[in-house]
Amino acid sequence: MPSVTPDRTRQILADPAFRELSLSRARLRWGLSIVTLILFFGFIALISTAKSALGANVAGSDIPVGLALALSVIVLVVLLTGFYVQRSNSRFDELARGLNWRFGQ
Amino acid sequence: MIGYLLAALIATCTFAASAQTVVAGAHGPDWIAIAMFALIIIATLVITYRSAGRTKSKADFYSAGNAITPVQNGLAIAGDFLSAAAFLGISALVYANGFDGLLYALGFLTGWPIVLFLMSERMRNLGSYTFADAAAFRLDRTPIRLVAATGSLVVVLFYLIAQMIGAGKVIELLFGVNYLFAVAGVGVLMILYVTVGGMQATTWVQITKAALLLCGGTLLGLAVLWHFDFSFGKLFAAASAIHPKGAAILAPGGLFSEPVSAISLGLALVFGTAGLPHILMRFFTVKDAAGARKSVFYATTCVAYFCLVIPVLGFGAVAILMSDPAYFHVDASGQFNKIADLIGGPNMAAIHLAHAMGGPVLLGFMAAVAFATILAVVAGLTLAGASAVSHDIYGQVIAKGRASDTREVWVSKMAALAIGIVAVLLAYAFENQNVAFMAGLALSVAASSNFPVLVTAMFWRGTTTRGAVAGGLMGLAASVVLVVLSKTVWVAVFHFPAAIFPYENPTLFSMPLAFLFILLFSLTDKSARAVRERAAFDAQFVQSEIGAAQTIDSPTLAAAAS
Repeated sequence: MPSVTPDRTRQILADPAFRELSLSRARLRWGLSIVTLILFFGFIALISTAKSALGANVAGSDIPVGLALALSVIVLVVLLTGFYVQRSNSRFDELARGLNWRFGQ
Repeated sequence: MIGYLLAALIATCTFAASAQTVVAGAHGPDWIAIAMFALIIIATLVITYRSAGRTKSKADFYSAGNAITPVQNGLAIAGDFLSAAAFLGISALVYANGFDGLLYALGFLTGWPIVLFLMSERMRNLGSYTFADAAAFRLDRTPIRLVAATGSLVVVLFYLIAQMIGAGKVIELLFGVNYLFAVAGVGVLMILYVTVGGMQATTWVQITKAALLLCGGTLLGLAVLWHFDFSFGKLFAAASAIHPKGAAILAPGGLFSEPVSAISLGLALVFGTAGLPHILMRFFTVKDAAGARKSVFYATTCVAYFCLVIPVLGFGAVAILMSDPAYFHVDASGQFNKIADLIGGPNMAAIHLAHAMGGPVLLGFMAAVAFATILAVVAGLTLAGASAVSHDIYGQVIAKGRASDTREVWVSKMAALAIGIVAVLLAYAFENQNVAFMAGLALSVAASSNFPVLVTAMFWRGTTTRGAVAGGLMGLAASVVLVVLSKTVWVAVFHFPAAIFPYENPTLFSMPLAFLFILLFSLTDKSARAVRERAAFDAQFVQSEIGAAQTIDSPTLAAAAS
């Protein structure tokens, strides 16, 4: 159950650092979620529409386009999570620590 | 306690020694596999025994005292998640269908960024032992926990039975042990890990398994690539030259040609991961939200690496095994089906590949890896199910949060025992049934009941208890009913001529339905309780963003508020 007094909750909610933290984290969180979903479901859509094109080899190599794309999606997923963690470690944790320090006696 | 462990050890060792191999029957006796199998059992029992001393309080039992590091937890999450179905099943799908099998791997992976962005940090900040903690933070404890615990138990039981049946079959094939014996052995081991060592033992069994699986996969993958001079071109050319489907295995095939089923399965894979109770529970084993976030990153990296290795194994198995009749049931005229006649079925492709690449030693090692994979997943599931019973139903609903630590942990151990026994009995009863629907149903319930309740409770101010309960139950009921009416149950189990629900997976319908019910029943909720719950969102929002640190130093305020 919530154990913070309503006054303190109001103070934290109104604090500019908290607003920056929650707003920019929400932007990052929902933005990256949408990118991830577009990536995956876009790939499924591509597969059900452009089947034959994905069987051809990538120009100048002997690896099929579909496989190359699938492997790139795997790598991209890791990069997206890495980006989120890196942003959180460098920016959001610091803001949260500051807020905890100022509002917690 | 030591006697208990020793008795189990002796029982399982004789069970291993009495084994006569079927798979290796074609290649001679397989003492190496049996020795490695015994080694894994001994190692996990030593882990369990050592963990027992460190599992004293309720927090130790459910969450290993929050003392797991992010790297350890990342490995454990990967160990919890990558089941034998993922390892043997997806390599078999690549073996049989080529490219299409890889799409399953991709679906499994895509759930992880969603878990990271939406779940891990807020869960850690709002809860302490189970995901229901976060869902019930500002909502009415009793109904929310009952819905969450029901969702958890349904997911755990179906997933567990599917895993146990797979485990029984795999062990039967690998070591020639009787099916009931194999299933009971797995059941005894998982009950031991959970009741004796709690989260601590479960975590280390999962870490051991993840390390073994990643090393084994790498070794086998390198052996395949070495065989083809580290050229993917040569590997793909050799595979498409010999596969019955020819070059078609390198391109998308029929598995995902029907968009509704493809999207529905995709939704189940992606959002189901974010609703699996045994995965969500792992976020409480680390110190704070930053730790939870980092552990998901490490877990995602492991799962992604695994997704890159699996196609190499699948295509390698095609290129290497299909030319060698020794791995197939050959009929009188010397003919064999390159997929269906593989000894032990396509699920054994990765295991046969190990024999082809590294003889009995690598075969024994990979068989042992498959066994460790099974153990780690069933242990995690059993612990999640036991926690739903003891923490959510007993501790919070029946005892209203006033049960002593000792009592709650005791209930949890009894629940683990009961879940283990039920799982063994059901796995035995369903041995020869078609259980293809079970894993799909578990994922669909996770995506249509657990995930919508949790995500709306954490992110939408308007959510009320009435809405969350209606939506959670609707998602659960819709998943079950639609799966029963679909081909996998209506035709395959009940033998009706045609399915009433025409698609393979219900998630495309059941998940939006759950969200719709949460929305409607919350918006129309005019009760005083709903007003209080919406007002409490502010406090929940603050704690979910910056953690509970500001309340720790003010026990008087906390006491005054409760």
